[in-house]
This record gives sequence, structure tokens and C-alpha cells, in this order.
Amino acid sequence: MSQIPQEMLSTLIASTQEVFETMVFTSLDSHTPIEGEALRPQSNVVGTVAFAGERCGVVAFYSTTGTARTIAGAMLGIDAAQVNGEMPDAIGELTNMIAGTFRTRMAATGQPWAISIPTVTIGSDFYTKYVSDVRRVLCPFSMDGGEVFVELILTTR
Amino acid sequence: MRFLVVDDSTTMRRIIINTLNKVGYQDCAEASNGREGIERLATTTVDMIITDWNMPEMSGIDFIRSVRANAATKELPVLMVTTNAAKDDIVEALRAGVNSYVVKPFTPETIKEKIESMLAH
Repeated sequence: MSQIPQEMLSTLIASTQEVFETMVFTSLDSHTPIEGEALRPQSNVVGTVAFAGERCGVVAFYSTTGTARTIAGAMLGIDAAQVNGEMPDAIGELTNMIAGTFRTRMAATGQPWAISIPTVTIGSDFYTKYVSDVRRVLCPFSMDGGEVFVELILTTR
Repeated sequence: MRFLVVDDSTTMRRIIINTLNKVGYQDCAEASNGREGIERLATTTVDMIITDWNMPEMSGIDFIRSVRANAATKELPVLMVTTNAAKDDIVEALRAGVNSYVVKPFTPETIKEKIESMLAH
């Protein structure tokens, strides 16, 4: 049983699927969320948006570089092979929309919060460590031609 | 019909322009923040503005206030496209002079409906 409220998790999953359907023009299949740090995604691209208010934490998006190019190409209406410098901006905007939709839906349940601007990290062999005590749940998704992950990280205060 | 699309994200500008093309509007100018939007309006004629809220240098709200304060642009219809979806945000945008509001993510049908509704008024 996840320590993160199920309502938050299902809202994040639904928000991610909505953003992919409307802006990436593909559907995502959701798989069983994984609590803690047992599984770290094999990813070279990480988009993050922090939020603060009733609850504080981070929404993080993970994918491989290849999948990130596919996503960016779909968003821009061009072939993935043509995607070059646009990819970080596209992943930042995607993460921003996932976090924004999540925030809007949670606000409807009486949990308003503000979100930060998105940041995108691209590279290899890096690990994101949070200084505060946090609870984290990783939500895996599969899509045509790849997999992506969205993680909800909540501070425990 | 010519649009000015103002957003600091090149991806979002491209998505909006692709969406406009899809629903039948082909003529678009671009700007990456409010200040650049004002410069564009001084040199080119547009029929409608589509703007983001959160942008560096000059936000969408300050941009709209500037548009409304200028006799040459004060009547231009403005559609805001943003992730800011709280009731207070929408009220602030309407007070600044926004005519209509779309929350990201959006469908082409939503954009088309909002544009047609603004043109009808």
C-alpha cells in the first residue's frame, strides 16, 4: 500500500494520459506504480516541476533520449529524426502540462498549490537525490515505441 | 486573418501555430515574450493575439495591459493559453483584458470554438 494517497496517484496518472492524448497524439498504458527507490528508470532525459502549498513536492518525467525525440517530434508535427535542439523545450513544456493538469485536478478537491517553472536535465549516469525526507512513487507507462515514467515525490512534513 | 502567437516556449508556439493551421488559419506572427509582442505589434498588423501567461521579461498579463493601454491595439481580441487554471488566475486575466481563456492541454476543437466565439462578439 502506497504511503502517497491513492487519489493523488490516480489523478497524476490520469493527468499524464490526458496530456499525451491531447498534445502528443498517442495513448499511454499505465502499469503498476512502484513505491520507493526500488526501480530507477533507464533515462537520459528528466523533466521536473516543483509544487508547494497544501502539499510540497516534485513531479518528475523520465524517458530515454530516443523516446524524448519521438515525443518532441509528435508535439511539433515533425519526424523524430528532424528533432534536434527542440527536444529539451518540448519535454519541459510536456512536464509543465502534466504538473499543471495535476495541480488543476487536485485543486478541485480542495488542495491548491503553486507550481514552479520546469527544468530539464539531459545526460547519462546521474541520480537525483532529495535532501528532505520524501515519499516517492514511480508510475510506469508504455507507449508506441517506448516507455516513460512519471514520479510523484512528496515531502513528509 | 492574422494571429500574433506569444509564448516563450518554441514548442508551444509551434503547437499553437500547427493547431491554427489545422483549423483553417494560416497567417501567424510569433513573439517569445510580452516585450517582443509589443515590438511586433508596432511593426505588423494582426487580427487576434494568442498569449501565454508565464514568460520572462514581460508576462502575458503585463503584455495584455500594455495592449489595452495602446489606442492602436486596445480593441484586439486576446486569447490566453496557459496552465494557470485557478479561478483567481482566470479572474485576474479577465481583469487585465483577456477576452477568452484556454487551459493547456487543449484540443484543436477548443481553440477553434474560442476563436469563433470571440469573432462573433
